[in-house]
Amino acid sequence: MESFLQYKNLSYFYQTKESEIHALNNINFVVKQKDFASIVGPSGCGKTTMLSLTAGLLQPTDGEILLNNKKIEKNDSRIGYMFQRDHLFEWRTIWQNIILGLEIQKKHKDEKTLCFAEELLKKYDLYNFKNKKPRQLSGGMRQRVALIRTLVLNPTLLLLDEPFSALDFQTRLKVCDDVYQIIKSEEKTALLVTHDISEALSMSDQIIILSSRPASVKKELKINFQGKTPLEKREDKDFGKYFELIWRNLS
Amino acid sequence: MKHKQINYSKTHAKYLKKLKTEKIIIIFWQIVVIVGFLGLWELLSGTGAIDPFFFSSPSRIVQTIIELGRTGNLFIHMWTSLYETILGFLIATILGVLIAILLWWSERLRKVMEPYLIILNSLPKIALGPMIILWVGSGTGATIVMCVLICLVITIISMLNAFISCDNDKILLMKSMHANKFQILFKLILPNALSDFISVLKINVGMSWVGTIMGEYLSSKAGLGYLINYGSQMLQLDIVMASIVLLCILAGGMYFMVSPFEKKYKRS
Repeated sequence: MESFLQYKNLSYFYQTKESEIHALNNINFVVKQKDFASIVGPSGCGKTTMLSLTAGLLQPTDGEILLNNKKIEKNDSRIGYMFQRDHLFEWRTIWQNIILGLEIQKKHKDEKTLCFAEELLKKYDLYNFKNKKPRQLSGGMRQRVALIRTLVLNPTLLLLDEPFSALDFQTRLKVCDDVYQIIKSEEKTALLVTHDISEALSMSDQIIILSSRPASVKKELKINFQGKTPLEKREDKDFGKYFELIWRNLS
Repeated sequence: MKHKQINYSKTHAKYLKKLKTEKIIIIFWQIVVIVGFLGLWELLSGTGAIDPFFFSSPSRIVQTIIELGRTGNLFIHMWTSLYETILGFLIATILGVLIAILLWWSERLRKVMEPYLIILNSLPKIALGPMIILWVGSGTGATIVMCVLICLVITIISMLNAFISCDNDKILLMKSMHANKFQILFKLILPNALSDFISVLKINVGMSWVGTIMGEYLSSKAGLGYLINYGSQMLQLDIVMASIVLLCILAGGMYFMVSPFEKKYKRS
């Protein structure tokens, strides 16, 4: 199997004033290219630590993470990060928010990338809101803007840290669907961290269940719903079976 | 006002009318308060119920202002105070923001300076007055230094708080897009602190007048603070009161010059 994202004997300790905490213990798994993988686990098990390590914001104590057979560096440009909240800058318009990363990387005068950004806006129904301020948009739209802000930098791997947890349930189902479609149509590999089993189940091709601290891989599941959308998956007869399987492994 | 042509429903028109009436009532009572206050003052001093020698009266204040204006000194005093206040205000605000940026930039420096900032903040700056006079000499310079000292520490502390209260995830977001520290400062920290900056401006308008008047009390040859001091020593309460009225006008005017910024930026 071609492995795109690869975790090799990954361990991580972090330091606090009181003690040293063993957060991750010998984690091994791989994610295929263009797959959507989710990490679920009991709260406080180190899911977000996993993402920070994958994003290169933290360095592993032991072991390594390979992306396309190359070790992930500090602030790796191949990686895009989506946070729990959209973190749109209120003083910038939607367009200015979207090109924030381009500005930082001094690519905001490059015609081709700007065209790409405009295309994304048009494709995902946000073009008419280009000059609006974030507070004029609904929660779901804001989260879509946040995703596009990440996509314009053209990352090969997308990291999602419970990106829907700040939304109400109705919006959440819709945005879940939208984000899934966008990620699939842009052919990105994605790694989602969540505590919501049905969310993981409706989005993923692969689910990694972590044990409680020090976290290790408790179980790995391949999910196959034959190309259904997240909303359709939720209604599939197998959904309940998978759900129970994951739930039993979590508790 | 184009949108007035839209036909509102009856209930909406009623609601708008209610808002308008409420506004008129407020303005009416504001006028009643000032007219009543001045009228009562004039009446009481005119009938001798209060001694106009100690309490002055509105008419005597107006007379004094006209007289001071005619001798020409009035404008010198007003200009001196205004000039000291604006200069002190600008120096303190700019310097304070720069120092706050420096302290934000270096966490170590911030931690080292923290206790000193706290002590400087709680120290009554007027206590430094005699030293200031010895070091910069009496007059305009000393007053400006006093004004700066009073505004500076509070500016540093408020702005630093605004800078470090920025959401950590937003900083992480910037970092995940490879922003360097300059970019984090200019694209996130500074715009994020804009509304706090405007609050600081408003506070500093008040504080810089405190500084100027205190500085002029300590040592000066001109200014409204000097005039107040002079008036009270000469037992000419008319001059004292007239100066206070003029001070109210200048300070209020400066405040209203800052408030459009607030309207423009605070909402976003």
